[in-house]
Amino acid sequence: MVSRGAAMTDVDKPAKRPMSRRRKCYLTALGLAGLFGGILGAWMQVAQSGGSASDLAMLSNGPLPTNFAIGASIIWVVGMILSLILYHRSVDDHEERAYLWAGTAAWYTITLAGPTWWVLHRASLAPTPDLMLVFVGALAVNLLVWLWLKYR
Amino acid sequence: MNNQLKVLRAMRNWSQAELADRLDVSRQAVNAIETGKYDPSLPLAFKLARLFDMPIEEIFDDGFQGSSDD
Repeated sequence: MVSRGAAMTDVDKPAKRPMSRRRKCYLTALGLAGLFGGILGAWMQVAQSGGSASDLAMLSNGPLPTNFAIGASIIWVVGMILSLILYHRSVDDHEERAYLWAGTAAWYTITLAGPTWWVLHRASLAPTPDLMLVFVGALAVNLLVWLWLKYR
Repeated sequence: MNNQLKVLRAMRNWSQAELADRLDVSRQAVNAIETGKYDPSLPLAFKLARLFDMPIEEIFDDGFQGSSDD
């Protein structure tokens, strides 16, 4: 049954193939996202703490210099858009599905946590809702679901 | 959905990475299809069918036993 067709006789191991265009684009997207994230994190740390590493600026709600806030916002939006365009143009079938379910799980996290926290706060049963905390929680759920679906 | 991917790959002495390379997907994608954790999209199923020179329904089995009119 499997003796027909040209592909069926191809049992020889091919030489190492050059990296495909899709894979190059995929790695570029991940590299860009990492680069933008690294720049933002390092810059935020320096901008907020004046160079001291005593506190992790990413986990703070403290004030930030205006120039940094404008620059960081631009890098975040432009960097994310560029990285995401490259990512979605190059991601494979399987990972795209993992990404979509991870995104859905993250959205459900926001849907559950956001209004619940807000209502509890209005009844003085919880502290003021923290947007970044909800975002980080959703991001953590996103990452866990993505890793599970891609590598299980 | 059951599939013959692992058998077809083994008959050619291809590793998962090698098959992934030929399909231009990740090795995790090949592994997930082989272990039934993921059903490929129609374009990827056609790509597999062309690579193995077989009809899709000889690679994948959805367990349907009735006639196509059912």
